[in-house]
Amino acid sequence: MTDAVSGVPAPRRFEPLFSRRYTLEIRQQMAWPQQAAVLALAVVAGLLISGAILVAAGVPAGELFQEFVVATVFDAQSLQAVLFQGAPMIMVGLAAAIAFRARYWNLGLEGQMIWGAIGATALSVYDVGPPGLRLLLMFGVALVCGLLWSLLPALLRLRWGVNEIIATLMLNYVAGNFLLHLLYGAWKDPASAFPHSPAFQPFERLPELLGPSGAALGIALVAMLGVWWLVNLSRAGLYLRFVQASPPVAHAVGVPVTRMVLVAVLLSGALAGVAGFLVTSGQEGRLTQAFYHGYGFSGILIAFLARNHPIAATVVALLIATLFVAGRSLQVFYQIPFSMVQLIQAIVVICVASSDFFIRHRLRRVLPS
Amino acid sequence: MELIGHWIGSIPDFAVPYALAALGLILTERAGVLSLGAEGFMLIGALAAIGAQLAFGATAVSLVLAMLAASAASVLFAIMVVWLRMHQVIAGLVMVFFCQGLSSLLGSVLGWTNMPVTSQGAVALWPLSELPVVGRLFVQNPVVFLTPFIFLAVVVFLQRSGAGLKLRAVGENPQAADAAGIPVETYRFLAVVAGAALVGLAGAYISLLSTKLWIAGMTGGRGWIAVALVIFARWSPWKALAGALLFGCIEALIPQLAAAGVKLPQYFVLMTPYVVTLGVMVWVAMGRQRGADAQPGALGEPYVREERR
Repeated sequence: MTDAVSGVPAPRRFEPLFSRRYTLEIRQQMAWPQQAAVLALAVVAGLLISGAILVAAGVPAGELFQEFVVATVFDAQSLQAVLFQGAPMIMVGLAAAIAFRARYWNLGLEGQMIWGAIGATALSVYDVGPPGLRLLLMFGVALVCGLLWSLLPALLRLRWGVNEIIATLMLNYVAGNFLLHLLYGAWKDPASAFPHSPAFQPFERLPELLGPSGAALGIALVAMLGVWWLVNLSRAGLYLRFVQASPPVAHAVGVPVTRMVLVAVLLSGALAGVAGFLVTSGQEGRLTQAFYHGYGFSGILIAFLARNHPIAATVVALLIATLFVAGRSLQVFYQIPFSMVQLIQAIVVICVASSDFFIRHRLRRVLPS
Repeated sequence: MELIGHWIGSIPDFAVPYALAALGLILTERAGVLSLGAEGFMLIGALAAIGAQLAFGATAVSLVLAMLAASAASVLFAIMVVWLRMHQVIAGLVMVFFCQGLSSLLGSVLGWTNMPVTSQGAVALWPLSELPVVGRLFVQNPVVFLTPFIFLAVVVFLQRSGAGLKLRAVGENPQAADAAGIPVETYRFLAVVAGAALVGLAGAYISLLSTKLWIAGMTGGRGWIAVALVIFARWSPWKALAGALLFGCIEALIPQLAAAGVKLPQYFVLMTPYVVTLGVMVWVAMGRQRGADAQPGALGEPYVREERR
């Protein structure tokens, strides 16, 4: 038995298991295939724990694979639903990733989504602009509204060092209450008196493009390419990498740190605003009370799992979308509350984040001398 | 006058959850662990209190079980940040999401959602309760009367005991504390667990003593407001108590204004605590020059003994 990494031969004499001593060492680096293996193990561990919880909650163990993989990915209708769900998910994932690259904890994705959706819906409610341009205008207004809602906490942080975690979260609650104010007041649907906005006109809905979710997915993929270009090829992306590594050092070598952070945060807010537009115009066809639930949280997790990489974020976002769709069918067929989806996401992230410890450290046996 | 009496009497109901949660956070953060999981531990405490009340029907037992439940949840957080040296912001956030999901799931699977409970009612502290105007301040449930003593106990522990000194040393400079032979990881672990117990008690207060039922996500950001309150109080328990009272005064004013017939747009009123929190954060940040050194020196930094700094 030889330790493959360090090449230290095992002691000749057998030691009882519990009298062996280990020390913790910092690992300088780990080859990427090993890193990938650790990561994969962590994801598998997270899914196994989640599966065990699902079985305990009453899903037959044999059906899990069927429900989650076969029924969602290999069924045309479910796959359509995944892509449908995936477009706004990709947008919030990209939004979180770009902000995190500037070391800015944008937890205000939901607030920015709400404002994007409010902006888009305002055009519909007040009938602004010619029908032919309506959709384009809604897109633009959603983008600007999301951007503006992210401006205040960004300025507070850059000017006075106000903690953006608290500021963006508080603004989510403010935006959520403003949404309810509109939906229970001026924007209540006169046709049904339910607290949601009147249904959009057909020309205010995202059109079909190679399938019902094509247009939304197209926007998301263009956004992905844009972010990829920005972070990997552009000068701003290079600057951002400096900022992410160390803001003081970046400043010392002449990177405009404040401007870079501001640009990243505003871009993040704009992407989240567009996500709000995609949900209202692409999925719901009207402004509803709870359309944004779960997106902020998922966006952060997507960015974390994808290590802030735009293409990886897109892949992870589609996986999370699969989880959402599967969660809905579990809700229908097994009466499992939808909060299960949130719990599963959290468990997977806990496992992945924990696995980082094994990438950065190693246990080494202390040999008796 | 009647209105002012009612207002003063309802302040503790709003202030006590903030105060207890902030105190728990101070205990944890003084040991150098940034605890963003408060919102989650509060939810766990709130759910456990209702569950225990439905099962046993004894308020004191339910409160203790709620504290234990929140502590149990915080063990996961402690393992992540103390043993696995995870980024404390990530660990805190994921803890909130985990507890939100778990509490909402358990609440509906176990059928505890929207089940009204009866719990210990108000107790009058005679003769103070007979005072004009402020009399209602002394007709409260026992936890309110207990809160100042909990604060006193924590302050005495932190400022006057050897263990408290060591805990603060661990939060200020873990390298030096370690060199002096203080078990850094043990202190941090216990600080997380003990702090979460108080945060759980705050959650239990909201569900068991205020609303008297459980709804998923019922804490509505109060855990985050407590996090902001700790920054506002510069990690000092008494200032946190004052801040909690301030928040309690503002929140308690809202129903009284409505009762007095002042017409206010409902959803703007509901925004108040969040807007006030944001305002307070800006105010603190603008005056950062004073008391900037009050923040524990190693707050948010995982302690890695093997790493030379």
